[in-house]
Amino acid sequence: MLKRLRENKSAQGTLLALPTTFWMFILLIIPLILTAIVSFGKRSPDGNVIYTFSLDNYIRLIGISSDCPAGQTTCFNPLYVQILWRSLTLAFNSTVLVIMLAYPLAYFIARSHPNRRTTFLFMVLIPLWTNFVIRVYAWMMLLRKEGAINAVLGWVAHLLHINFVPLEMLYTPGAVLVGMVYEFLPFMILPIYTSLEKIDNSLYEAAADLGANPFRTFLRVTLPLSMPGVVAGTILVFIPVMGTFIVSDLLGGKQVILIGNLIQRQFLDARDPAFGSASSLILMVMTLIVTYFYTRKFGFGEEIVAA
Amino acid sequence: MNKSNLFKLLALLVVASMALAACGGSGTSDSQSSDSAQNVTSSGFVCPEPEQKMDVTSKELNIFVWTEYIPTEWKECFEMVYGVQINHDEYSANEEMYAKLKAGGTSYDLVQPTDYIVSLMVRNGLLQKLDKSKLTIMDNLDPAYMDQPFDPGNEYTIPYEGGLDAIVYNADNVTTAPVSYADLWNPEYAGRMVLLDDSRVVIGMTLLTLGYDVNTTDPAQLEEAKNKLAELVPNVKLFDSDSPKTALIAGDVDLGIVWTGEAYTANQEDPAFTFVYPTEGAVIWQDNWAIPADAPHLDAAYAWLNYTMQGDVFYLMLRDFPYLNPDTAALEYAKANYPDLYDPFMGSPVTNPPAEAIQKAHRIDDVGDATPLYDQIWTEIKGGE
Repeated sequence: MLKRLRENKSAQGTLLALPTTFWMFILLIIPLILTAIVSFGKRSPDGNVIYTFSLDNYIRLIGISSDCPAGQTTCFNPLYVQILWRSLTLAFNSTVLVIMLAYPLAYFIARSHPNRRTTFLFMVLIPLWTNFVIRVYAWMMLLRKEGAINAVLGWVAHLLHINFVPLEMLYTPGAVLVGMVYEFLPFMILPIYTSLEKIDNSLYEAAADLGANPFRTFLRVTLPLSMPGVVAGTILVFIPVMGTFIVSDLLGGKQVILIGNLIQRQFLDARDPAFGSASSLILMVMTLIVTYFYTRKFGFGEEIVAA
Repeated sequence: MNKSNLFKLLALLVVASMALAACGGSGTSDSQSSDSAQNVTSSGFVCPEPEQKMDVTSKELNIFVWTEYIPTEWKECFEMVYGVQINHDEYSANEEMYAKLKAGGTSYDLVQPTDYIVSLMVRNGLLQKLDKSKLTIMDNLDPAYMDQPFDPGNEYTIPYEGGLDAIVYNADNVTTAPVSYADLWNPEYAGRMVLLDDSRVVIGMTLLTLGYDVNTTDPAQLEEAKNKLAELVPNVKLFDSDSPKTALIAGDVDLGIVWTGEAYTANQEDPAFTFVYPTEGAVIWQDNWAIPADAPHLDAAYAWLNYTMQGDVFYLMLRDFPYLNPDTAALEYAKANYPDLYDPFMGSPVTNPPAEAIQKAHRIDDVGDATPLYDQIWTEIKGGE
């Protein structure tokens, strides 16, 4: 039997995939099914789940409400749609900003001397050794009214004899955006770097031989060949930003509610796991739809994955 | 750097990102063996002997307590005195503790529920009745904290500490001092306030300014409160229930609603922080000790309660967590032995509120079916455009 297995490549493949499949089933598929079941349930007065089949949670999410001002039977409350929309735009803006910051840096690293590249990449990774939450706290120190940034600005203003009013930076939506961009920057730099580093030098030489100036070379050679990295990075950044709640809690002063915050609250303060499950599923579906259209247009960045 | 190395790097990143997701609290445990007659903690505190040493056969005790809410010496002392290893988990919201116990599979011996969650836990069978014959410290407890509506006759809980949610402001920066919750709507305070991130407290104080009950379930009253609260939002810089004093001390805000203990600490840092019991009456709360229904180490749990609530041990709370103190033995012990702790504690209206402030205070109860309504109002207030 062992001998037959040694010859049968496809059976080997199946066998090797078994442990992963098993864990995926236990840790991903089953919880997902449970979440779906709970999402059709209702909340008991004590905050337990009553298992029934009701679409109430989804109707509430869409914003059609039954408790309306007097005289109306149904009315529209766009609260949750607004929260979803805010999360979506924040994820989009963060991703665009991250690309704009990460691309030049990745380009710089990829074009630097091979001996230095490892050092540079190392520097990109070092912040990840510190806990996520602690790095967010560091930003709070920087952005405070009496924080480091305002202190430096105040000092410069003092030297220039300008009247200085400390900037209100912490606990604003802008602070949340800065936090998101900072947290997820490395996840964009690395894939872009990988695709840039793979570009054969002879291609640049060929472009130059054929009379392309550096700008044209970048547009026609570098950029298209590095797109797989951008695509892979976008997926790695966009999806986590959609679901994160720590950054908006700490840097937004709990005033910026994202879909992640909404879900977290349902399982704790609101004690409404059914509504929380419905919200999670909506988030998942929305992320899937965005990712689906995105990957249909640009692919998964397979070249990166297959590297 | 070759490609396969880089790919390993990427894989590492993915693992790192998974680690991010696991940033919840984790248990810590430490053990100490008692090898000398004199038990001294690493901080130099000499552990008092238990007034009545109990028979404890358990080798472990699993406590599930609020973040930073027991003096560190307690753990070390109890481990040395009884030779029991303490496993210590923390939570930062009653709902978090409730959800964990409700999910089952825990083996906690002691929890610290706040008043309103106690009745909910009892209804759902999460707590067990206390065996008073095993509690030697019942006489230490101030009757003012006993027999509360959330646990008549103290069948399931004994008081741990209490406090009020009231107003604190920085007298250096605030020109018009607030005296009531209603004053907080003053446009002068635009963008200068911190509020507790607690829907019941903030909606509750809004209800009070309208003359309604803090525990109302009437949708019309709640709707009115929502509209009123929406007008307060421009004044709010942030919501924080982890450490609201931080934004005050750091100068990000000038006033707010915080717990008494936080206000006391802020005042110790900077005397400009002034405390106000609002004319409408403050929100009052009480944390308690309780034993979960499935607690595996009962003997150690009772020994812990008896040991930590004895006067010469519980007085440490005055030093570390200066809230309302229900342990009369601890107060007497501090008065006799540590006047430098006792006098400022009793002298400050923050830690020792006037009787009138307590009489007028309002207690939060569970609102059952209205909970999602409160949550929706809260989400609308914070998440609206």
